[in-house]
Amino acid sequence: MSAVAPTASTPSPPRQGGSSVTVAAQMLGADFLKLRKKRSILIWALVLALAPIVIMFAVEAIQHASDPAKYEPAGGLHSFHDGLRLLGGLLFGPLVAILIGVEAGTGDASAGVFRDLVVTGRSRLALFFSRVPAALLMCWLLIVSAYVLVVIGTFVFAGGLATPDGAEVLNGFGFLLIATGVLCVVAVGFASLVTSKPGAIIALIAWQVVASPLISSIGSLGKAREIILNQAISHFSPITLDGHATNLKLSGGTALLVLVGWLVVFLALGAWRTSTMDA
Amino acid sequence: MSSPLNASTTVAPVPERAGSGLAIETTGLTKRFGARTALDGIDLRVPRGSAFGFLGPNGAGKTTIIRTLLGLTAANAGTMEVLGYPVPLERAQALRRVGAIVEEPRFHPNMSGRENLRIVAAVRGPETRARIEPALARVGLSDRAANKVKSYSMGMRQRLGVARCLLADPLLLILDEPTNGLDPGGIQEFREMIRAMVEQEGRTVFISSHLLDEVEKTCDAAAIVDRGKVIVQGSMAELAQGGGVRNELILGVDNVELALTTLSRASELVRDARRADEGLRVELVGDPRTVAEVNATLVRVGVGVTRLEPVRHSLEQRFLEVTSRLDASPATEAVEEVEA
Repeated sequence: MSAVAPTASTPSPPRQGGSSVTVAAQMLGADFLKLRKKRSILIWALVLALAPIVIMFAVEAIQHASDPAKYEPAGGLHSFHDGLRLLGGLLFGPLVAILIGVEAGTGDASAGVFRDLVVTGRSRLALFFSRVPAALLMCWLLIVSAYVLVVIGTFVFAGGLATPDGAEVLNGFGFLLIATGVLCVVAVGFASLVTSKPGAIIALIAWQVVASPLISSIGSLGKAREIILNQAISHFSPITLDGHATNLKLSGGTALLVLVGWLVVFLALGAWRTSTMDA
Repeated sequence: MSSPLNASTTVAPVPERAGSGLAIETTGLTKRFGARTALDGIDLRVPRGSAFGFLGPNGAGKTTIIRTLLGLTAANAGTMEVLGYPVPLERAQALRRVGAIVEEPRFHPNMSGRENLRIVAAVRGPETRARIEPALARVGLSDRAANKVKSYSMGMRQRLGVARCLLADPLLLILDEPTNGLDPGGIQEFREMIRAMVEQEGRTVFISSHLLDEVEKTCDAAAIVDRGKVIVQGSMAELAQGGGVRNELILGVDNVELALTTLSRASELVRDARRADEGLRVELVGDPRTVAEVNATLVRVGVGVTRLEPVRHSLEQRFLEVTSRLDASPATEAVEEVEA
């Protein structure tokens, strides 16, 4: 018999069956399945990702059709930029990332099945970290779908307007992956930390929509504002995201460091909570 | 057996058992929640290949010890082994062949029964996926496996919980109040399934319950727990008799005074004899064969014996006895002080 408290000299327990890659892939698939089957969240995320884009193009197309002299065609470069702002900078893309990330972080606990996964003997850290790629995959699927819609609309409704070149389209694509991906991972970690779905959603939206812009606009905070996630994300944007011009000029290294910092801190907090909480 | 729960097993056979003869062993296991002591130095020995009942009133600490054994919550002191592996040191290895239902079985309600099992199978490892269909068949849920769990009755969820346990091809099943929500037919099927798992497949089943009748009918051995302490443990017969052999008789006689006097002199046969509502209650010194000698002794002095009936000790009797005795013990007072 051993003492309840583990000792440093104890060898790590043998792994369960299957190679670690196979098990990780299966666990990722299982976590993705859970998200896919959470229809209510998925429908809302789809609506949030696609509806603004559809509405944007529809309104502009109607306006242009009704008075072509006054209103430009619905597509072209300016619509491409507006689409990027909707998905990457403003509420909608981040909201999708938050919804998916929070669901991934709290799904097992809120359904009461976390304990049933723990009693398999699988490491709690493995249970936590399998949520992250599943959430990213689902989030990016939705965001990429919306981005494809933006690009299609940009070219289809361009009329005689200038359109983005391949590099701009790729830049926009990369920016969206970063902007929503980082927030999604932060949401997974934060939700796993607080374990309350409504609490995590409210706190993250409040931070994203209210607190971040507010703090960014307080000039007396100086360079301290550089640690705000949105500021670092904005650095990678190919367009100006914030109409209020509160964006700071971060160096590439600082922006990258801030992103990594947010990821590390929230992943660590989520992993710690998942490892130590009573199941 | 005809019920789906007891259909001929298609779950992979249990390999030859290894390690000690105990499926669960704890020594001095202690768990506190703040000032309240939920487990107070629990010493538990669960033999392999048996159905073991963990019996106690609500709030006695039954679920807490299960949660502690499974690593769902940390113990404050003591040691424990599951299937011969120290926990939490080698928890992963210990739980690899353990299936457990803790409190009520919970699932993702928006997913089907089969999908819920796929989730757990993915976590347990690639070899587990092949056990999903046999496990569903074993609990009689193959036909409903594609339905969402939110449409399942409580009994079906219990069955699905057992199917989830079977994914581990368990050497040890830990079931917390497993018959909650089952109708009488379901309880009977469940009981038969447990017995089949123990007798035909050599698995160990640890059942926590506050239902005396259920434990008495299902289990080979049991422990009675109350207020975080194991009061007594042993085989069902030992428990019912109070841990030792205690042979008692109910006697009906035509001359109570003469019978009491005679029996009080026959100390080689009788430990104690006293009046009771039903006549005389006599505790024998030896085994039940001395009943004939007691009868002969009374007849020799002219006492007419109208009734001679061995007392059958029930688990319920014993349960009430030990828990009420605990109520008056100093240890209990100490626990109560802590709780206060």
